[in-house]
Amino acid sequence: MNNSKKIVLIGHFGVGKSSLVRRYVQNTFTDNYMVTIGVHIVKKEIQLNQKSITLIIWDIEGKDDIKKVRASYLIGTSGFIYVVDPTRPQTYEHITSEINFITTQYPKAKYLTVANKSDLIEPEEIKRLFDSLQIKIDYFASAKSGDEVSSVFENLAQQLLDNV
Amino acid sequence: MNDSEKLQRLKELLLDEDRDFAQKILHKLESLDQTIQTPEKLSEKVNPIIDKKLDVFVEEIPTKLGPTIADALTKSQDKVVEALFPIIGKMIKKYIQQEINQLTEKINSQVQDTFSIQKWQRKIKAFFSGVSEQEIILSEINKAKLEQIFVIEKGSGLLIASASNSESIDEDMIAGMLTAIKSFVEDAFINGQQSLESIQYELSEIYIQNFTSYYIAVVISGELNTSVKNELENKLFDFAQKNPISETTTKEELSLQLKTLLANE
Ligand SMILES: Nc1nc2c(ncn2[C@@H]2O[C@H](COP(=O)(O)OP(=O)(O)OP(=O)(O)O)[C@@H](O)[C@H]2O)c(=O)[nH]1
Ligand SMILES: [Mg+2]
Repeated sequence: MNNSKKIVLIGHFGVGKSSLVRRYVQNTFTDNYMVTIGVHIVKKEIQLNQKSITLIIWDIEGKDDIKKVRASYLIGTSGFIYVVDPTRPQTYEHITSEINFITTQYPKAKYLTVANKSDLIEPEEIKRLFDSLQIKIDYFASAKSGDEVSSVFENLAQQLLDNV
Repeated sequence: MNDSEKLQRLKELLLDEDRDFAQKILHKLESLDQTIQTPEKLSEKVNPIIDKKLDVFVEEIPTKLGPTIADALTKSQDKVVEALFPIIGKMIKKYIQQEINQLTEKINSQVQDTFSIQKWQRKIKAFFSGVSEQEIILSEINKAKLEQIFVIEKGSGLLIASASNSESIDEDMIAGMLTAIKSFVEDAFINGQQSLESIQYELSEIYIQNFTSYYIAVVISGELNTSVKNELENKLFDFAQKNPISETTTKEELSLQLKTLLANE
């Protein structure tokens, strides 16, 4: 039909979903915490290996339980980005069951896990932390420094392109 | 009859009979309006017709289409519904329109005399109130204008196609936000049972027509009265029927069709 894809960022309050989106789309960052209410939608068109894809990014309000997220925000999603804050254990303690929920409810969708705010912890330390918990984190990123942010979105976009 | 008697008679003619008739018509219109506006009452009237058609349809499936196709039909229910939706919608509308037409005809034949008196009454009123005919005509033509039209996939909120009379902000983002608002309102306030029909803001209105896997949103300026709405609905049903949306539908192709729809306004 066309090459627009819906991407949704999920995770607890304040893990940095909006900040990651803002860094990726506008290349800016702010320390002020502006809580997202409902959903904010932005778009980014990118080229990957001569193929173009339009990401319609849904930055939704944080919830401590994915089952509390309005189903209508999640329906029709091609790719999920699950964001955690490595400095706050409660944001990743249930990550396995949350990811399970996504893969059973939306089996066709791709997903990535991201530990944001990597500027606050030594890289080695974060890796050790998640390894010891047997939690698979795909990217250690920082919306503040910009580190790895575009890789997250581009990796997901590439998976969506490969999918068709 | 002397002059004052004539005047008295004229007054009676102008006011009393007229009022009675007007009252009767008003009652009829009100009850009809109620029937149309109240989903339960409307479905009471319309359901038997649909049921009957469906029965006939179901009966005919095995004989006309053969068991294999009937099987295929049940397997691809969504597609079948998608195809039937505009047709059923049209059937219901036709029925209602028919009823209204009949009523109008009845009223017309009964009250032709009264209407001619009303015309005089209006003229007299216009004369005394000093409102020019032109002004009256002008007030009647705050005509609705279609500004923008979007075809949006339900769920994902992805834009399937769009057309616009004026340059506008990003259509992809509007499509997403509209979908978010729509589903929010639908599950927060109307229980997910019904669907949002329109969003009004200042001088415009966004009219929404749902189909199975997508919906069409039309931005309209000016006054969207029942007859305009009616016409618009017909156009959208026609559009949906003529342009079935599938995997192979291209944005450009469909947007072009939408542009013609806008241009034919
Ligand atoms: N140090 C640091 N702070 C960050 C980073 N990303 C976000 N923050 C801060 O974390 C706070 C929350 O960020 P948001 O992006 O608003 O978080 P959110 O996940 O969108 O929050 P909700 O909308 O409430 O769900 C803000 O004060 C940000 O400045 C980061 O990479 N490093
Ligand atoms: Mg946010």
